[in-house]
Amino acid sequence: MSTRHILLGLLAAGPSHGYDLKRRHDERFPQARPLAYGQVYTTLQRLVRDGLAQIDGTESDGGPERTTYRSTEDGSRELARWAGEIAPPAPFVTNEIFAKVVVSILSGGDAAAYLRAQRDAHMERMRQLTAVKTAKGADLATVLSADYALNHLDADLRWMTTTAARLTTLTAEVDSA
Amino acid sequence: MSDAANTRARTSGVGGDVRLAWLLTKGSDRREWWRVGLTVVGAAGAAGLGLVIAVLVPMNGQHHIGVGGGLLDEQGTRGGVVVALTLLLIPVFGFLGQCARIGAVHRDRRLAALRLAGAAPTQVRRIAALETGLACLAGSAAATAVSVPVLLGLWHDPDPLAWAGIVAVALLVPAAGAAVGALSLRRVVASPLGVVRRTRPAGPGRLFLAATVLLGVSALFVTAAVFVGDPFSLPLFGLAVGPLAVFALCLLVGASAVLLTGWASGRLGEVLAARARNAAVLIAAERLRADPWAAARTHAAVLLVTVVGTGFVGVREAFLAEVETGRREHTLGMSVSYYTNGLDLTAAAIGVALALVLAALAVGTAESVATRRRGLAAQTAAGVPRAVLGRALLLETALPLLPAVAVAGVGGMGIGLWYGSATAHHLAVPYAAPLVPLAVYGCCLLAAATSLPLLRRTLHPAELRYA
Amino acid sequence: MNNGDGKVPLLAARGLTKAHGRTEALRGASVELGAGEMLAVTGASGSGKSTLLHCLAGIVRPDAGSVTYAGERLDRLPERRLSELRRSDFGVVFQFGQLIPELTALDNVALPLMLAGTSRGDARARAGEWLERFGVRGQGDLRPGEMSGGQAQRTALARALVTGPRIVFADEPTGALDSLSSEQVMTSLTHTARETGTTVLLITHDAQVAAYADREIRLTDGVVAGAGVTA
Repeated sequence: MSTRHILLGLLAAGPSHGYDLKRRHDERFPQARPLAYGQVYTTLQRLVRDGLAQIDGTESDGGPERTTYRSTEDGSRELARWAGEIAPPAPFVTNEIFAKVVVSILSGGDAAAYLRAQRDAHMERMRQLTAVKTAKGADLATVLSADYALNHLDADLRWMTTTAARLTTLTAEVDSA
Repeated sequence: MSDAANTRARTSGVGGDVRLAWLLTKGSDRREWWRVGLTVVGAAGAAGLGLVIAVLVPMNGQHHIGVGGGLLDEQGTRGGVVVALTLLLIPVFGFLGQCARIGAVHRDRRLAALRLAGAAPTQVRRIAALETGLACLAGSAAATAVSVPVLLGLWHDPDPLAWAGIVAVALLVPAAGAAVGALSLRRVVASPLGVVRRTRPAGPGRLFLAATVLLGVSALFVTAAVFVGDPFSLPLFGLAVGPLAVFALCLLVGASAVLLTGWASGRLGEVLAARARNAAVLIAAERLRADPWAAARTHAAVLLVTVVGTGFVGVREAFLAEVETGRREHTLGMSVSYYTNGLDLTAAAIGVALALVLAALAVGTAESVATRRRGLAAQTAAGVPRAVLGRALLLETALPLLPAVAVAGVGGMGIGLWYGSATAHHLAVPYAAPLVPLAVYGCCLLAAATSLPLLRRTLHPAELRYA
Repeated sequence: MNNGDGKVPLLAARGLTKAHGRTEALRGASVELGAGEMLAVTGASGSGKSTLLHCLAGIVRPDAGSVTYAGERLDRLPERRLSELRRSDFGVVFQFGQLIPELTALDNVALPLMLAGTSRGDARARAGEWLERFGVRGQGDLRPGEMSGGQAQRTALARALVTGPRIVFADEPTGALDSLSSEQVMTSLTHTARETGTTVLLITHDAQVAAYADREIRLTDGVVAGAGVTA
């Protein structure tokens, strides 16, 4: 995911300083990994270097001095281009789970036990996400981002269930190859 | 359609449809076999009655017949017996109609699925016609096989016309069955999807309304004829019009009772649903409101029998009074037992009709339970006591039948009084007549109660497994 | 939860077996349900999930094994008492079929109260509150056939919960729903169960639905395969 474009997007609402951007990011995308302040700072500097953002001024409400940034014309254009661009439908998913199943068959391990444990871990994460989603007062952004993760975990889970049911055939295939 | 498909359709033809109809019946569940079995029985009954009528009609003049208590010996009384037998056909048809409803929902779905799978409307109609027609053919064949030797034993050299009649009846019953089978599917055929989400017509069918109007007109005509001249003094006309007038009047009162039941069921359902204080009444009332004409259709034959039965008690009283007068004045042509014999036979016929009607009612109630089995099982699983569901089932029959039987009883008594006033010199009040609707009502509740064991079995949680 | 902390479970089954004809639906399944817990039972079609629910809710008697609810052996109770328990202490929600098609939503929800002896007026008033709670108050005068699948299932939930049962048994309550309706139904169920402290046994083949529960057990060929517990 492109932190550049997300920051540009947040700047589109109006000039803002680094700490504020980080706070708004974490609020808006609750299920994403929280942004490190250092990452916000370096990304903003790169945006300025590429002419997509510029320094708006400095402000200090009695506290330490803060630099505020704003988007440029080029920045708005770049943001529009990115937002309209179709995300590639991930043709080569890095499938760690499948790799582990095959390796465990090759090395004579218990692939079924691994799948069970992995399934439990997935279910546990799904329960946590569902709890976040159903908590009283959860806003729609939280619900939707939790849903996104839930649907992906569910897809993994379904794949694991089908695979577990077909392990015998898979073992025979891997062993004979 | 391509040429190849055309050829295939032609070659499969009726033979293919027979095979398909057989496969469908064979693969279906127990209830379909019930339908087939009961249809065979009903068709045998209809054919049996028809055969007797067919033999009696061409008979001319005086005969000596061992059965019928002398009523069949003479031309005049023979006519009366023919009319009585014809009347008896009505409850038999009612019974057959009720049988056709067993498993109807499932059969409709199955045939609609056939349509969705690409069967042509004519093909589906043909399959349905074959299903019913073959069952009726079996019944009619059985009845004919029994009747012919009996006839030959009683009548050594029957009229050729009687033979023709027998053949006609034996063929007409399955043909009529097939026609009804095809006709009852006209909605399935019209829309393969429509019946899967079955919608009931919001009122009585147009056919039924048309028949009622026709009856009304003919009844008016006959009644007018009665008042214009005294039909009972005209030998030929009187014989024909007297019983016909009674027949038409009975049908008319029956039809009005059906319309009234349909209308009253709806109103009763609405009023009771709004006021019901306990669960059983609420469930029964809402079911009536949802489909008032289901009750009306089921009860049509019951109401007819009530009209005829009540009317008969009145007629009997008047007739007996007349016979008594004749005996005292020595004007009777025959012995008293000759007349009472006729009355007893008629009473027996009405009794048979009542039994048939009650059987039809029991079949109808059982069908309504069987169709809803999954929902009912779910209710029990949710803790609705069986007793409540049982009471609701009985109330569904009892509530709409009460006003309808009352009206049918009053109508029948009217007929009895009218006949009495037309024939007797002094008016005989038929005190026993009001007992008939009461008895019919009681019997109906008993007939509906025969479904309670089925209900108990239906409420078994195993039914939850069927979607 | 209830496992290993010495608390007596509200509902417990041991070694349940049940055959339908020649098919063995349950082959020694054991399960415990703590008070206030929401347990999901998952498994492939035909793994015995529904039969397990039927045994636990006293709808069918197991061929062998015991079902203990609040100290009472359900598998030994007479049918009359079981029916009473199902009415007073248990609520059930199925995929469909538990609403009477001829009754309005309001009357459907009022029905269990009327069966318990509440007057029609009071029953309807309380039913209205429950419909409100599940967001279908506006559909109170509609009959099940006139509602959307989600609305009908929320009405069914209201019917199951209106008598204040201790346990709600839900058999694929979202089986016929799209994902959005499914989410609304499950959120309603979860919130209400939590607020009222109702115990829930939820049967589903859908992991996203199972994730609403505190705990999951999986049935494979009539036995419990494994248990995942939220810490």
